[in-house]
Amino acid sequence: MTDLNHIEKKAFLVKSSSLKDVRTFCREVFEKLNIEQNLKDELVLAIAEAAQNIVKHAYKDKPDANEIMVVEISLVNKEMKIAFYDMGTPVDPKKVKHREIDNVKPGGLGTFFMQEIMDAVEFKDGKKPWINHLVLTKQL
Amino acid sequence: MTYKITEEDNISTIFLDGEIDMDKTEEVKEVIFPIIDSGKDVALNLSNVQYMDSSGISVLIESHQKALEKGTKVIIKDVSKSVLKVIMMAKLEQILNLE
Repeated sequence: MTDLNHIEKKAFLVKSSSLKDVRTFCREVFEKLNIEQNLKDELVLAIAEAAQNIVKHAYKDKPDANEIMVVEISLVNKEMKIAFYDMGTPVDPKKVKHREIDNVKPGGLGTFFMQEIMDAVEFKDGKKPWINHLVLTKQL
Repeated sequence: MTYKITEEDNISTIFLDGEIDMDKTEEVKEVIFPIIDSGKDVALNLSNVQYMDSSGISVLIESHQKALEKGTKVIIKDVSKSVLKVIMMAKLEQILNLE
């Protein structure tokens, strides 16, 4: 892994077909940072789950909104922060929880994966024009 | 995502190829579910699926449960290392029929 500090961000249309582009962007950034394959796969999954939640939940009521979400990846002093910004329906962090893992049924795993992979999954105040601002953090 | 289906006895083997995310799940369901509904056993070969997220895992769970209801089974074969890791993270390796 590189010791250099690094910040990159990119905007994506909020739609399910953008999820592949989100993964490609992340993989390219992690490639530059020389992140090892296992960790890279985990980080890509966590990021993709967060982006999926934006598409699936924050924009549930406006699927054709043609709006953007921004993904920002930063590595500063070996702390990886991945920030998401969107203008969808405000998320109530208290309502964001995964299903009980032993209660096997479809759905409810995305948040679980994020929490398993990252050290912290936090909603911060979205600064205008953004509504939601999610930050995933992991010490590398 | 692409797929190929081979038939042998009462088992249909579906070879999936590509990355399975929320954008592809309906497509995957349209391939798997009618075969389960027809009463056949399904073998899902995932050797060429290098990425699967929670949506893809949900399709595996749904397929497994649908097969149980129909009295058939879904076997998951040749899972790539990266997808197996996600299945294990979801603690499903003892629930799904992995071969």
